[in-house]
Amino acid sequence: MQDLLYFSQQLINGLTIGSTYALIAIGYTMVYGIIGMINFAHGEIYMIGAYTALIAITGLAALGIAWLPLVLIVALVCAMIVSSSMGWAVERVAYRPVRGRHRLIPLISAIGMSIFLQNYVHLAQGSRNIGFPALIEGGFRFGAADSFQISISYIQITIFLTTLVCMTLLSLFISRSRIGRACRAVSQDLGMANLLGIDTNRIISATFVIGAALAAVAGLLLGMYYGSIDPLFGFIAGLKAFTAAVLGGIGSIPGAMLGGLILGVAESMTSGYLSGEYKDVVSFGLLILILLFKPTGLLGKPEVEKI
Amino acid sequence: MKTSVKKLVTAVSASVALLGAGHAAAEIKIGIAGPVTGPVAQYGDMQFSGARMAIERINADGGVNGEMLEAVEVDDVCDPKQAVTVANRLVNEGVRFVVGHLCSSSTQPASDIYEDEGILMVTPASTSPDITERGYELVFRTIGLDSMQGPVAGKHIASLNPERVAIVHDKQQYGEGIATAVRDTLKDAGVEIAMFEGITAGDKDFSSLITKLKQADVDYVYYGGYHPELGLILRQARQAELDTVFMGPEGVGNKDINTIAGDAAEGLLVTLPPAFDQKEENKDLVEAFADKGEDPSGPFVLTSYTAVQLIAEGIEEAGSTDPFDVAEALRNGTFETPIGTVEYDDKGDMRSFEFVVYEWHSDGSKTPVN
Repeated sequence: MQDLLYFSQQLINGLTIGSTYALIAIGYTMVYGIIGMINFAHGEIYMIGAYTALIAITGLAALGIAWLPLVLIVALVCAMIVSSSMGWAVERVAYRPVRGRHRLIPLISAIGMSIFLQNYVHLAQGSRNIGFPALIEGGFRFGAADSFQISISYIQITIFLTTLVCMTLLSLFISRSRIGRACRAVSQDLGMANLLGIDTNRIISATFVIGAALAAVAGLLLGMYYGSIDPLFGFIAGLKAFTAAVLGGIGSIPGAMLGGLILGVAESMTSGYLSGEYKDVVSFGLLILILLFKPTGLLGKPEVEKI
Repeated sequence: MKTSVKKLVTAVSASVALLGAGHAAAEIKIGIAGPVTGPVAQYGDMQFSGARMAIERINADGGVNGEMLEAVEVDDVCDPKQAVTVANRLVNEGVRFVVGHLCSSSTQPASDIYEDEGILMVTPASTSPDITERGYELVFRTIGLDSMQGPVAGKHIASLNPERVAIVHDKQQYGEGIATAVRDTLKDAGVEIAMFEGITAGDKDFSSLITKLKQADVDYVYYGGYHPELGLILRQARQAELDTVFMGPEGVGNKDINTIAGDAAEGLLVTLPPAFDQKEENKDLVEAFADKGEDPSGPFVLTSYTAVQLIAEGIEEAGSTDPFDVAEALRNGTFETPIGTVEYDDKGDMRSFEFVVYEWHSDGSKTPVN
């Protein structure tokens, strides 16, 4: 019984962290699906989202506003607006001018953007870890009081549910809306979509904006969950989310969700049953295995070479 | 690749800043090397504040043998690669005395360069025993060793009669070194070590570790490492309602842990150098810091002050600015400093250095534990 409780607790930990990987992974996967480039600055967009949310929360606190739903909504909206405009601007400044060139050129431009944003926040906000208020505290507990108890905090539930809701909305948006249909068309054949009168530049911008907005959601949620942020934390999270995207099949939205959850659970099980030292070994080992045996990822479609 | 480019940018901007610093009429350059930026920059602030104050006061008293001291400040970000870069820059600047570095993992590679180039280094903060184990002639410190600090922590935990203790560290030279020293002390005392495990510095999610600690049902957790990770562990442990007592080395003992951990920092045990700023004979000095609006209570402020003072007194004693003569003078002399009487053994370690156990509070203050 005790073992089962322990296992469930680790599973919950893994699903929580996995769902945030999934939220960030969406940004990688959508951009890749549409223009076939890897947006390495995406982790930084997420980090900027977290900083913006913190600034908004601090600002509201200074104004004496403490009503939780309002604080959360304002922080979320601010973070999404700033991150989205950042995502849009990054695409406009660093990727559009080099679009259609050799694959390496946008990649290098993306790495440059990532370094720039990291150092910008470094200068603007300082390099120290900044504490992030918890806002959502408390949780449920299961199990006998004298032995191991499972605890699920409200923030963990919030993270998991928010991810599910965002993913469902996004899937609906992509499959039902006009812009979503255009997105799919552009991802199938950019040139043809252009000929048929789709404003491809607008669609590509929209992709960046949507990915960045979701990253901002993750930034706010993770800031509250972990409790501190620093200018470098987007890089590590971005790397993990990128792994999740590749694991699930880059370009596929359900794949990003699945990849994120698998990666999160694998990590927490490794720390739980082996040792925290092997956490990254297992997650990146998993990536290598997937790439060896199923290079398109779990849910990815085999790529047809576009001419 | 990404990181190295970032480091390059930092290095270039730092060197531009250095160029701008210009040259005063000073004659003895003292390099101050520590983290100005990066996750442990607050320790760097302590180091720079202490060293600058010492240089100011010595210069105000007419310098060393009539020559003024000039600070050459460099930022190593507490990163071993960056430490080597800035060490080489100090060599190029013609610096012959260095106060630094701060993190053991930076001090170690940098000291290789200083020893080769005939530069005397006094680290005010690095506690890893390995640094002075290599028979170097020009390496000194104004702080104790993990092999002194670890046993103090270990004995304290053992004296509380715990049934099971978990030890966690950040896999870095400093953290793992001190965690090992604590483990050995506890083993000798017959305490059961339920867990000895590393985490990755820079990680944010410790929920799995905390679940494991909960499962292991331990009375105490010792953490070897720095405050950014321990702060998060404390906070997430509080959220998961894990109520064991945590203990850490001086690397976790600064007020930034409160901004991260909040109330969860209450009751944390920390081994620190004694509060030198409370000593009667340092009253003058403490006031001088207060006049500048600086806080001398950080663990590395007065050790850094002492490092500069020792270099100055060593030069005076030796009557020369040759680092080898100064090293000789330091090894043979007895010095009265703000951190007490300093005498060196052959390795460059202080013959005695005390660590004290403090209880940390959620407002950033601390009280000694008996």
